[in-house]
Amino acid sequence: MCPLTSPKNGSPGTGSPAGEDAESGVEGGDVVVSDSRRVSRCPHCGTPVEGTEDVYCCSGCEMAAAIIRGAGLEAYYQEREAFPPRPEGDLGGWDAIPVPVGSGGLCEIGLQVDGLRCASCVWVTENVLQRTEGVAEASLSYATGRARLRWDPEKISLGEVATRISTLGYRPRILGEEGEPDRDLLIRLGVAAFAAMNIMMLSAALYTGWLGGMNPRYVALFQWISLALAAPVALWCAEPFFVGAVSGLRHGVLHMDLPIALGVAVLFGHGLVVTISGGDTYLDSMGMLVTLLLAGRVLESRGRRRAAEAATAMAATAPATARRRTGEGVETVPSDQLEVGNLIDVAAGEELAADGIVDSGHGNLRMALISGESDPVEVRAGSRVVAGSVLADGFLTVRVSAVGRETVLQQMADQLRLSADRGVKPALSDRIAPWFTGITLVVAAGTFFGWLAGAGFEKAILTAVAVLVVACPCALALSRPLAAAAGLGAAARRGLLFRSGDALLEMEGVDLVVLDKTGTVTAGELEVVEGEDEALRVASGLERFSGHPIARAITRAAVDRGIPLPVAEEVNEEAGFGIRGQVDGKEWEIRSGGPGKVLVKGEEGLSWTITLGDRVRDDSRSTVERVRSTGRDVVLLTGDVSEVAERMAAEAGIDTALARMDPTEKAEWIRERRDEGKRVLFAGDGMNDGPGLAQADVGIAMGTGAASSILVADGVISVPSLQPIVAGFRAAEAAAVSIGKNQVRSIVYNVGAVTLAASGLVNPLIAAVLMPLSSGMVIWGASRVERKVEGADHGVPGSQGNPGAPSKNVGVN
Amino acid sequence: MDAIFFLLPIAVLLGLIFAILFVVAVKRGQFDDLDDPPERILKDD
Repeated sequence: MCPLTSPKNGSPGTGSPAGEDAESGVEGGDVVVSDSRRVSRCPHCGTPVEGTEDVYCCSGCEMAAAIIRGAGLEAYYQEREAFPPRPEGDLGGWDAIPVPVGSGGLCEIGLQVDGLRCASCVWVTENVLQRTEGVAEASLSYATGRARLRWDPEKISLGEVATRISTLGYRPRILGEEGEPDRDLLIRLGVAAFAAMNIMMLSAALYTGWLGGMNPRYVALFQWISLALAAPVALWCAEPFFVGAVSGLRHGVLHMDLPIALGVAVLFGHGLVVTISGGDTYLDSMGMLVTLLLAGRVLESRGRRRAAEAATAMAATAPATARRRTGEGVETVPSDQLEVGNLIDVAAGEELAADGIVDSGHGNLRMALISGESDPVEVRAGSRVVAGSVLADGFLTVRVSAVGRETVLQQMADQLRLSADRGVKPALSDRIAPWFTGITLVVAAGTFFGWLAGAGFEKAILTAVAVLVVACPCALALSRPLAAAAGLGAAARRGLLFRSGDALLEMEGVDLVVLDKTGTVTAGELEVVEGEDEALRVASGLERFSGHPIARAITRAAVDRGIPLPVAEEVNEEAGFGIRGQVDGKEWEIRSGGPGKVLVKGEEGLSWTITLGDRVRDDSRSTVERVRSTGRDVVLLTGDVSEVAERMAAEAGIDTALARMDPTEKAEWIRERRDEGKRVLFAGDGMNDGPGLAQADVGIAMGTGAASSILVADGVISVPSLQPIVAGFRAAEAAAVSIGKNQVRSIVYNVGAVTLAASGLVNPLIAAVLMPLSSGMVIWGASRVERKVEGADHGVPGSQGNPGAPSKNVGVN
Repeated sequence: MDAIFFLLPIAVLLGLIFAILFVVAVKRGQFDDLDDPPERILKDD
């Protein structure tokens, strides 16, 4: 996430001049220097810049604008609703990815594109790609930020395509394999709905016939057509329920599908017999029942698919490559082709692809992924470094000591995956199912024998069938998936994506919320903590073209404070030493002033210090307050020293902070609380939080964190904020309340209906009215979940918690 | 009234045609993505 360009005042697009002017204003790539300190906005990203109207804030923006205009897509600047992120330089490494050539000599790949902020962003990216020579097909989803690309490898390389996206300011990542959408269930639902409605129409005629009398020939015709329509419903549409019931039985479990399958079998068998021998059938009820249950299944599978997509999107990564030294020079290779003993180059801002020992060079390394702490550690020749850490500054040549599965990072991930296999608590409906089936069968048998003595075999069997029919737990089976799907949707729209409905419902019982510090309560990235406005102004002028994390933090701070970026001249960046250049005609120099400090030195001995560090997220405090107002405790766990932990905790409004906890201690602490009977939610982001996430009742990972922590978590927060946790609690509560009420309703219904049936009072018409009525109640109950969560949002501004647009974009990063 | 012996099957058959159209539509992936097309229609290039 790059918050530096959020348009704060004025409508976006203001000050973006027509194409000709803008381009002539920056001719030659040199920036125009203006003596009068006029401030304008960068025509591309909206960053305030000192100078005349047409000055771009950086060469990246200029390039992006040139591409957009070159493709004839100027309309973007008029139509966009938000400024795009500032392009942050090249990604590199894409060409090292092996992509098989498919049919027609074209390559195909799925990408997740980050940074898309409005529909126009998607439109311009898609169109730029489509108009790129060699790209055969490009489609980008407005809703999810996913792209499908087909290109001709003879004409253009994947690297060039990726560069084209990143030049526009958006960041592509590689998407893993995606499953095909489940069309089968939807077809079954469609067929069942078609048949059920026709049967219902025919049945309506038959019921009317009871009153006025009906020619038996017509009755036979109607019934045979009903049977013909019901056959595919029972034999094909309802197959998933039979499969579920049988596989349950095979594993010795009485699944919720069992009473359903039993009901469908009895209904259809009875219908078949009665149609041949004469009498009234329940086929309309059967059609309705299968349709409603399939509808529930479809909703459930859509919810699950959305969750799976979210997880894939989160786990999508930029290609892992490394620059390996060879005899002649340096070559870029995929990181899995590295071998122990290779020498690799690592420049500032790059991630290490393998474990190793620094051979030469020196710099500061951020190991947040491993240790959870964001403060860079100084490394020099001889230091051990691990894969996954990022070089904040300097330059290293590393001799590889472990690659792939052998790296510390991978081994931690493997361990986590093993430990995450915790038992899943069976859903309440599945716990009720055996009882339900047992009681129904006993009551049906009792009814049969009760009536056998007095009313004869035929009446007895019909009444017993009626009992089995009305006892079919349609409403009960629907209540949970529907409410869970509604809750999942409500939480997802507010930035919290769950792997399953069960995980969401688990959240309801949580009474202790444990938060990690770095990357969770805090933003987890370098930010300016302290610094004079003038120092920031000068520094941002010198550093605005640099992709260095410190430079980015400084430019971002300047933009946030509303300081227009000045125009610097004769800028000279020396890796590992600093930057020199002229601002306002004076000579300035920026260099490192120790860990977390940057010195800005000018002529005449002028000198400022800018302090950088991690900072508590703006909305962490309000989130903590809201969580506590629901009666839950909040605790901060961190590997950092207690002084920092306490300061951050105080800032976030947390009373209890436990410092100097290593990953296993965190997990151990959580386990102890669980042993005490507490239900624990843990939110964290790094690899180091993995054990804790796996140990907690509910583990929530930050979408910006390590992919491996997302794999073991139950849920992922897709926005850079903690707010979604509050939304999650609300959604879980609303869903749980809805399920509880619905289960009571459906049990009351079942007891009543079974009593009626056992007394011989239920005929097919009464069944046809009662059954959809109970399911209707359940659907109505579930539909109120979203409204309840929305109601809770009101009076609490900003709890929508999704600052980025498009609003449904799961790829916010 | 015997016309119903023709009309009813015809009515069901007509319904069946739509059911088949639905199945074809699903198989062609028209229901795979319900979020994008409504956005896409607002932007023409």
